[in-house]
Amino acid sequence: MGNQMPARIVLAKVGLDGHDRGVKVVARGLRDAGFHVIYAGLWQSPGAVARAVADEDADWLGLSLLSGAHMTLVPQVLELLRQAGVGDAGLLVGGIVPEDDVTKLLELGVARVFGPGTPIEEIALFLRGRETRRALELGERFRQGDRNALSRLLSLAARGEGQELVAGALASDAAARSASLGPRVIAVTGSGGVGKSTLIGKLIEVIRSAGRSVAVLACDPQSSLTGGALLGDRIRMPSRPDDLALFIRSLATPSGHSGVAPYVDRMIGLFGRFGFDTVIVETVGAGQGDTAMREVADVVIVLVQPETGDDLQWEKAGQLEIADIVVVHKSDLPNAQRVESQLRELLNLPGCRPVPIMPVSSSKGIGVQELWAAALACPGRPAAR
Amino acid sequence: MNQMQSADRVPRERWEQEQRSSPVREQPATTVSGRPVKPLYTPDDLPGKGDLTDLGYPGQYPFARGVHATMYRGRLWTMRQFAGFGTPRQTNERFKFLLEKGQTGLSTAFDLPTLMGLDSDNPRAAGEVGRLGVAMDTLDDMLVLFDGINLEQVSVSMTINAPAIVIMAFYLAAAQDRGFDWRKLRGTLQNDTLKEFHAQNEFVFPPEPSVRLVCDVIEFCTRHVPQWNPVSISGYHIREAGSTAAQELAFTLADGFHYVEQCLARGMAVDDFAPRLSFFFNAHNDLFEEVAKYRAARVLWADAMRNRYGAQSEASWKLRCHAQTAGCSLQDKQPELNLVRVAYQALAAVLGGCQSLHTNSMDETLALPSQHAVTLALRTQQVLAYETGVTNTADPLGGSYFVEALTRALQDDARAYFDRIQSAGGMIPAIEAGFFRREIADAAFAFQRDVDARRKLIVGVNAFVEPDEKPLETLIVDGQVEKDQKAALRARRARANSSDVRRCLSELRRAAATSANLVGPLLDAARARASVGEIMDALAEVFGRYEAKTA
Repeated sequence: MGNQMPARIVLAKVGLDGHDRGVKVVARGLRDAGFHVIYAGLWQSPGAVARAVADEDADWLGLSLLSGAHMTLVPQVLELLRQAGVGDAGLLVGGIVPEDDVTKLLELGVARVFGPGTPIEEIALFLRGRETRRALELGERFRQGDRNALSRLLSLAARGEGQELVAGALASDAAARSASLGPRVIAVTGSGGVGKSTLIGKLIEVIRSAGRSVAVLACDPQSSLTGGALLGDRIRMPSRPDDLALFIRSLATPSGHSGVAPYVDRMIGLFGRFGFDTVIVETVGAGQGDTAMREVADVVIVLVQPETGDDLQWEKAGQLEIADIVVVHKSDLPNAQRVESQLRELLNLPGCRPVPIMPVSSSKGIGVQELWAAALACPGRPAAR
Repeated sequence: MNQMQSADRVPRERWEQEQRSSPVREQPATTVSGRPVKPLYTPDDLPGKGDLTDLGYPGQYPFARGVHATMYRGRLWTMRQFAGFGTPRQTNERFKFLLEKGQTGLSTAFDLPTLMGLDSDNPRAAGEVGRLGVAMDTLDDMLVLFDGINLEQVSVSMTINAPAIVIMAFYLAAAQDRGFDWRKLRGTLQNDTLKEFHAQNEFVFPPEPSVRLVCDVIEFCTRHVPQWNPVSISGYHIREAGSTAAQELAFTLADGFHYVEQCLARGMAVDDFAPRLSFFFNAHNDLFEEVAKYRAARVLWADAMRNRYGAQSEASWKLRCHAQTAGCSLQDKQPELNLVRVAYQALAAVLGGCQSLHTNSMDETLALPSQHAVTLALRTQQVLAYETGVTNTADPLGGSYFVEALTRALQDDARAYFDRIQSAGGMIPAIEAGFFRREIADAAFAFQRDVDARRKLIVGVNAFVEPDEKPLETLIVDGQVEKDQKAALRARRARANSSDVRRCLSELRRAAATSANLVGPLLDAARARASVGEIMDALAEVFGRYEAKTA
């Protein structure tokens, strides 16, 4: 299905006729066209197909009837779909249906009747057209500032689906005007436990009191085994239910990938088009050479904390290469001074670009304001996005 | 010979050169089944048979050229149009109309509830009663259906499978009631449940008891209704479900072999029943491949009956077949074009040597056929029979390098399928493993892909599309039929002696649990006015019901 989101469709034979050649061909054809097809099989009762649509959370139901019993069975199916609470699922009928009955079925609420020999492509085009209309509605709602539309588009972008739709939203004029310069994108990275979420929580307070809007993308790793993820960063950030200028979105990062989730650039773009002037991307420390971060962010802030050991580890050094600002977090802890001076030795060698090294304590509220000022002052990169 | 070959070399080389440098049309040259076709066929395509002297003769083993010595010079094929809708009374009127128009045999379509063994008042039958065929609940319906028709003079075909044995009992009881002699009855009961599992999906019981019922009818008719064809081993539906010509051929014959083996296993002598086994094939669009299919079928059957099953009688070797034009090839766009498709398909069936033929009506993709469309379909056969001259000589395409090569290729393909069925464990295990359904669904999908990609063109559909089409007048079956039929059934239930019915049904169940032939107990149940649904339910208590496995 290429650039559209795949719709789910239940296909079934209702009534007694066993002519399943057509429906089986359609099932395979729609599968190959990128749809998710659930074939329910022969001799289905109207109740059984309505149940299938509900349980499968299907967007569409395709009924195949060659027996001529459509005027008896289709109204029953429509009624049962409504009773099952899935009356908005689109109903398609395929088979031998006389012209007069086609009119009646469409009046009853059938989306379309396909006669024998209909090319698969025609069915796929119809479904895509409908999906596109649904998508256009979504795009329109996004342009009008509907946060739910933003959420939905973010989900699509995160799954790599609905690419045309996302691209359309990104190109939307109205949004482009309000964010003509694009958002300031700040990546915050560092090893687990270094306090990224807590620091971002503090940054949010500072940014909001400066009168700027902010969106946060909080990336957490996804299990390579189950694909599951527990996205827990949100709880360490301020809960401001009435603050429409704050948007926090959690995102799972596939394992093996760099610290930034795929499609994160598009999600940042969506935030920008929606009107957020700051976007913070929180990422897991992904080890050495995470250049992906530098591609999406204007400013990369790397967090380190006072170690119990003596020297900085090599992987930390690799992470530091991508930093525009290095924060020695939990600067109220002992050893912070020593870490800071080690960093200065390591980073500010003659001939290298100077990297600010800033002590910050989120718990004591020290250095957050200064960090924000430094992040704004950083030259930034006109990103590829 | 050598001299001839060298004399042939120069033109041949020139031809090869010219055809290689000539432009080729965009669509690949394949049959409708996807078989590649060469630009030219020569004696080289028939290794070992290049001189065609072993083609044989019509009416002679192995019957590639036909089962009768004179073929249509002696007698034309039977023009047998499938009909049935509404109540038994309405279909009876259509039968009389067709006989008046010159049709020479009757062919009965039953409605879906009957085909599935359900009574008209079963909730699952809602909306289906009398719609695709005639509704049939009890013996009374059968009496009305053939009211005023002389069953000793007209041959009657009945398309029914899972409940075929029940309907046959109704027919025999009705004939007896009207005073007709069973020994003079002619006709055909489709009674082929194996293909239901492969393709048509109107099965009720599991495969093994289903086959037992088929063989009960064969056995009973062999003894008591000797001119009747107790089974019509059908490739038609396999093809309609999307198979290739080779699959249709192979699966149909494999079904036939299975019935033969089961009859032999119950101790019947092959020459007693084999002569009355009949076949039913599709007549699809690809003229030459279809002709080759019929010819190949006869050769394969004759070979197996004679050499594998040891039949001595020539009648046992002969594959006689009914043909029907391909419903699946008809289109709802520019439906008048279906007349043309049907005419070519009918030509293929006749050039292939069929014994009877149904030509489809042009409006079948839109609705049940109208009287007008049915008349045109019948007239198409009459033009073919009386005006085209194709009836003047037997097997007119015999000896064509192309048709002979195709005939061989189809035999080879069929034999390869027989081996695959064997290695899947035989017929029943192959059904249970979904082998046939998968093969057919794959072929159906491949064909649709070709159409969608315009590798195959269908006039009016993906080529030469007409933007504005005028709709055809079509037949409308009203909802009154269902009400009438249900009322009639209620009345009959009230009239029937319920203790009689119960006694007959329990006798039936008892017999079903043994290996006894069930036609006798079914005749008693029919006379007691037990309904199709009651009888099938009783049998299902013994046999169980089969769940559809999807491919």
